[in-house]
Amino acid sequence: MNDLSSLLSLILLTPLVGAGLIWLLGNKRGNLAAGISVLVAGVIMVASLFLLYAQWGGEPYHVAMPWLELQPFRLDLGFYLNGVSALMLFVVSFVGFWIHLFSLGYMADDSRKARFFGGLSIFMFSMLGIVLAENLFMLFIFWELVGFSSYILIGHYLKTQEAASASQKAFIVNRVGDFGFLLGIILTFWTFGTTSLPELAQHHSGATTAMALLLFCGVLGKSAQMPLHVWLPDAMAGPTPISALIHAATMVAAGVFLLARTYFLFDETALTVVGWVGTITALCAAIWAFAQNDIKKVLAYSTLSQLGYMVAAFGFGTLYGLTQGEGHGHGHAVWYGLGAAMFHLTTHAFFKALLFLGSGSVIHACHHEQDIWKMGGLFKKMPLTGLTFLIGTLALSGIPFLAGFFSKDAILFVTKEACFPAFIILTGTAVMTATYMGRLFYIAFLGKPRSEHAEHAHESPWTMVLPLVVLAVFSIAGGYFAQLPIYPAAVNEFLGQAVPHPSEDAEMTMLIISLIASLGGLALAFVIWNPKSERDALAAKARPIWALSRSKFCFDEVYMFYVNQIQARVAGILDTLDSLIISGVGTRVVPGGIFGGLGMFFRRLHTGNATAYVWWFFGGVILFFAVATRGFTSLF
Amino acid sequence: MDAQLQILSEFSSSHHWMWLWPEIVLAALALALLAVELLLPKSDRWLLRISLGAQVAVFAALIAGLVGGTLPTSDVALFAGAIQPTLSGHLMRIFFVGCSILVCFLGYLYLERRPLARAEYYHLVMIVTAAMMLLAQITHFVAFFVALETVTIGFYILVAYGRNSSYSLEAGLKYMIMGGFSSGLLLFGIVLLYGAAGSPTLIGPAGDPFQFGQLGAVIAENPGNPLIVIGALLVIVGICFKIGSFPFQYWIPDVYQGAPTPTTAFLAVSSKSMGFYLLYVLLTGPFLGLQSILVPVIGIMTYCTIAFGNIAALGQNNVKRVIGMSGVAHAGILLVGILAAMRGVDWAFQAIFFYLITYALASFAVFGVMCHVAPDEDANQEREHYFGLMQNHPFLGGVLAVGLGSLAGIPPLAGFVAKAAIIVAAFQAKLYLLVAFVLVGVVVSIFYYFGWLRAAVTNPHPEIQGEPHPVVAPSVGSRALLAVLALASVVLGLYQGGLLS
Repeated sequence: MNDLSSLLSLILLTPLVGAGLIWLLGNKRGNLAAGISVLVAGVIMVASLFLLYAQWGGEPYHVAMPWLELQPFRLDLGFYLNGVSALMLFVVSFVGFWIHLFSLGYMADDSRKARFFGGLSIFMFSMLGIVLAENLFMLFIFWELVGFSSYILIGHYLKTQEAASASQKAFIVNRVGDFGFLLGIILTFWTFGTTSLPELAQHHSGATTAMALLLFCGVLGKSAQMPLHVWLPDAMAGPTPISALIHAATMVAAGVFLLARTYFLFDETALTVVGWVGTITALCAAIWAFAQNDIKKVLAYSTLSQLGYMVAAFGFGTLYGLTQGEGHGHGHAVWYGLGAAMFHLTTHAFFKALLFLGSGSVIHACHHEQDIWKMGGLFKKMPLTGLTFLIGTLALSGIPFLAGFFSKDAILFVTKEACFPAFIILTGTAVMTATYMGRLFYIAFLGKPRSEHAEHAHESPWTMVLPLVVLAVFSIAGGYFAQLPIYPAAVNEFLGQAVPHPSEDAEMTMLIISLIASLGGLALAFVIWNPKSERDALAAKARPIWALSRSKFCFDEVYMFYVNQIQARVAGILDTLDSLIISGVGTRVVPGGIFGGLGMFFRRLHTGNATAYVWWFFGGVILFFAVATRGFTSLF
Repeated sequence: MDAQLQILSEFSSSHHWMWLWPEIVLAALALALLAVELLLPKSDRWLLRISLGAQVAVFAALIAGLVGGTLPTSDVALFAGAIQPTLSGHLMRIFFVGCSILVCFLGYLYLERRPLARAEYYHLVMIVTAAMMLLAQITHFVAFFVALETVTIGFYILVAYGRNSSYSLEAGLKYMIMGGFSSGLLLFGIVLLYGAAGSPTLIGPAGDPFQFGQLGAVIAENPGNPLIVIGALLVIVGICFKIGSFPFQYWIPDVYQGAPTPTTAFLAVSSKSMGFYLLYVLLTGPFLGLQSILVPVIGIMTYCTIAFGNIAALGQNNVKRVIGMSGVAHAGILLVGILAAMRGVDWAFQAIFFYLITYALASFAVFGVMCHVAPDEDANQEREHYFGLMQNHPFLGGVLAVGLGSLAGIPPLAGFVAKAAIIVAAFQAKLYLLVAFVLVGVVVSIFYYFGWLRAAVTNPHPEIQGEPHPVVAPSVGSRALLAVLALASVVLGLYQGGLLS
């Protein structure tokens, strides 16, 4: 078993060493930094696959060493590998490597490569830390670290104001969620005396709704669920590989992963809340995606929507498993929620990373043009990118027998059983998903080029195309874990146990529903947005719907109002006090810092000469005595 | 022959001169340095090598003794009750030697660029260190005062050492006036205690009221005696001056700013740690009987010290003053540890000691970087001088980041673990409100530490701020030393190796 822990340590520490090397050697040498970073990602992938295929048999593996021991309090550092984290490890290391390779081509001309690739390696370290963390405190530390690396990488194009403010927004919104998360961890520790995940899994009686919902706050921030979703679309200001890796495939999914790790702490009330938050996020984000013209923004809202699916899957699936799942046959009914959520997380990681990288390939070819109305006809110019993008689109739309179909099917099935209204909403959202993805594909890839750049676009280099092809293969095959050895055997087995299956007769119904939803959506998109059109048909013909979608329900405006009108005023008052008391008086006359009113008085006496100091000292002694003897009463 | 042995063994049964070998070696070496300077006037580097080499040897021997377990852990008092070897005192001795090595090295960096006398600096640092090491074991007020004055007078000179800087001279004068005043109060307190505890009118008067153990017995019997209360409070005032807790912190900003940077480091780390150890020894020893009076006083002082230090540090722009005021805040957190010790948390000393170690490591890392960035006028070290440091000197920038991060208590650095230990100890002592207060203070401290770090990360615009401030490139030796300090801050954060148990 010792092999396993050293292998896990290797996987976790390699990216940290890589980042250190980049900091020391590659600061001025961008290509060296890129090489180190890609090499590191390769080592992580090989080591992870070796671990999952050859070393780990599927038994939950747990190792911890004390980090900080203070009698009743103990903080451990350790690894906890079970089905959930093994699947996540596979996703992060596998998708991570291909995105690193893609970045090599995409960032070839960037002037600040070292910073970018150093940040990527720091990110890999932090993300793997979340995946392998043995307890909630350790997880929280890495949780903050991914937030930090995301902040650094969103702000990569420092020159644009957009990137700077987007990175700040992401940081601040996540702090709001993380505050609740931290309270939840403290409450967990308070209640159980430990935050170790395997220990909690065994003794979790006493978990409360409040605890679960506080932990869920962290998910709200990191996985951008309503109402903390506002940062994710703005985060697209970062380089496209970052959007693919961090803001689609892995980091934003960490929230879902957290849910799967702590599923036993959620009771029925909490699960219902979680399920509805996910459902509403899925619906709203799909509505907002219609009015976006930036290719990455469409994908960003789609990511929001799909994250909503995963969260809803967890909420309703676990609810279904808890209440009615027993006796349905195979596997572990309480795992249905996390099974459906993690399955969709996995397939989504493949096809959404594929879509983002495809959009990156397009943006690269069109000289950093992101407006789909200035693209068009790219399928002919970039056949491989076009074909793989089509596969991604179909997988995301839920066309039968691609990866997305199976995972979405599992989600719709459990939702139908647990909460019928949510099922209706999510099915409607599935139609919309197919529609906005159809719109994106028709306008960007079919028809005629609408700008000079699109006219001269040509296929990207192999470092960018190869990841697309690999991810496309997995976007097709990723759903067949039961039939094909797509994943390592232990992971296959876990998925087989956890992913809910509709029974024979229900299966046909689900298939028909999926088929109608996906094909219907794609067809609807074709009717509304003819690939040859020059302008947005929705905006032209159905202005109110377009405007509603465009408004994003005014979340940003409400938040800005709050920040400007209320918070800024409070901050302004504090600032005045600050400059009055602390900066103005406090710098020279330090006692004034506390006794605001006395400050002016002190300043006159406090001329910086030693005599005054002696008098103050003497005054201090008197004060000291007065306190000690309660006004000298006990002395006399 | 036998008779002579008999006399010798009797003599040595109380007067264990061998036990004091580290102090004697340091003092002898300090004198030897002056002779070396006299005989070889241009032996600049050799002075450093001799003093560093010898101190490292003493340090290593003490550590080896500790690891080998050969130290006499006997509770037998030496020198007729003036000195009591204890494990905690012995640990502090090692701590002081370690700090002294670092101060000497910083002193070399400082003196290298200035036309000042060399040998005397190392000489004074070593004499002061020897006196501190003695103080850590003394249990008798006469010896206590003599050793304390040796330390204080040494510091008067060290603070005013930069004779070519008016700031340094002014700081020296201020420190001397304030120090003299506090020493006077301390001595007055000792005299009152002596007079009261020896008085036959009390229950069980002491034969030798200067001796801590006997004094403690008297105090335990007569906790309400006004003379004893006043005497004890005056002694505590004298020590609080050393640690710079509110309301005795007035001297800190001016003196820290004016003193040469290595002396500032010496004051901030060694002198403050010494004050805390003395406070710990007195409050958990002879003054234990005065708990009901002293716990509230120290408690209120702790609140004020944390609040004051943090708020005052926010407004500072001179980094030496920032370090000074943040040092006041650190003193507040250490006082929390002292309070926990007073309320019977048995491992509070480990928490305090660990805090002192992490504070020393991080502070010396930061002071080491300051020595390289400091302009010719050592007192004017502004935050603006750090613009672009991270880009132009990534090594110094990295060390500064680790040092400040550890001081601020960012996990997983050592400072975080130290703060966590103190907080847990306070929690066990049921000081809940104080724990909350410490946490707020820690959050505030992140602002000014990161303000400094932000300056280092910011790349200056040449049109606005002018050319970047010239920074002395670190030599191989100082690189190695700073790397060791930064690494230790990281390693101690991950693995404490029994220091906390």
